[in-house]
Amino acid sequence: MDARMRRALEIAAVPAVACIFGYAAYVGLVVAPPDREMGDVQRIMYAHVPMVQMMLLAGTILFVCSVLYLFRASWKTDALAEAAAEIALVFGAIGTTLGSIWGRPTWGVYWAWDPRLTTVAILLVALAGYLALRRFVDDPERRAVWAAVTAIIIAVDVPIIYFSVKWWKSLHQVQSNPRTVDPQMVLALRWNISAFFLVFIVFLVVRYRIALAARMREVTVPDSQPGTRQAVAS
Amino acid sequence: MNALHTVLAAVGEGRIHGGWEYVKAAYGICWTGLSLYALSLWIRSRRSEDVK
Repeated sequence: MDARMRRALEIAAVPAVACIFGYAAYVGLVVAPPDREMGDVQRIMYAHVPMVQMMLLAGTILFVCSVLYLFRASWKTDALAEAAAEIALVFGAIGTTLGSIWGRPTWGVYWAWDPRLTTVAILLVALAGYLALRRFVDDPERRAVWAAVTAIIIAVDVPIIYFSVKWWKSLHQVQSNPRTVDPQMVLALRWNISAFFLVFIVFLVVRYRIALAARMREVTVPDSQPGTRQAVAS
Repeated sequence: MNALHTVLAAVGEGRIHGGWEYVKAAYGICWTGLSLYALSLWIRSRRSEDVK
């Protein structure tokens, strides 16, 4: 695919994703019925659940890229790990805020040190630390190795977050499934998960390119791989 | 009969009445946050292309 065609596709993708995102919000806010117990407040779930799911997906990508980097060092996997970490932090921070807003009318509090909330808070703090670490280390090779090892340790929290509601039955409810939810609500949730996933992909691609371009500027030989690099640009 | 009618009406609306202010706040934060992040990516992307 030539550069012009790719550029045209990218320009067309933005309004397409915006339209899908807008329609998904309409389905969640207007079409889906109110919940029997929570009323209209439940509509927050159509944004909260996809945001947190995207955080977990980004956390998984961060883990896979970090493991791959340690086995077969590549600037591409390092750049993708950096992009995934930042996006996990953004989606996680917003998703947790939405959950907190939902918690006030339903639980009576904005925050509780419930296992799910606590493990998510740990992940967000750890991701902020991971991104800070990347800024503190100047040597790209050393930075990539340290970041990969740190990310693998951080990613241990991802499955703990997912299973926390099953392991420790606490305030946060367990995951729902389509058999126990009204079909109209399932439809709204699927639309929103799809829309947020598209936004996630766009963000990840753009952020990956920024990270990769920065990495290429740091090394003197553009196509060099970690370990074969001749010198680091001053 | 009147009590049943009241219960059925409540089922349709949910036990938590209202709450749209929370919904508006949540979606407002979500859309604003994602828009600001998209803007930051766009600015960084442009800056990255300029350096090339």
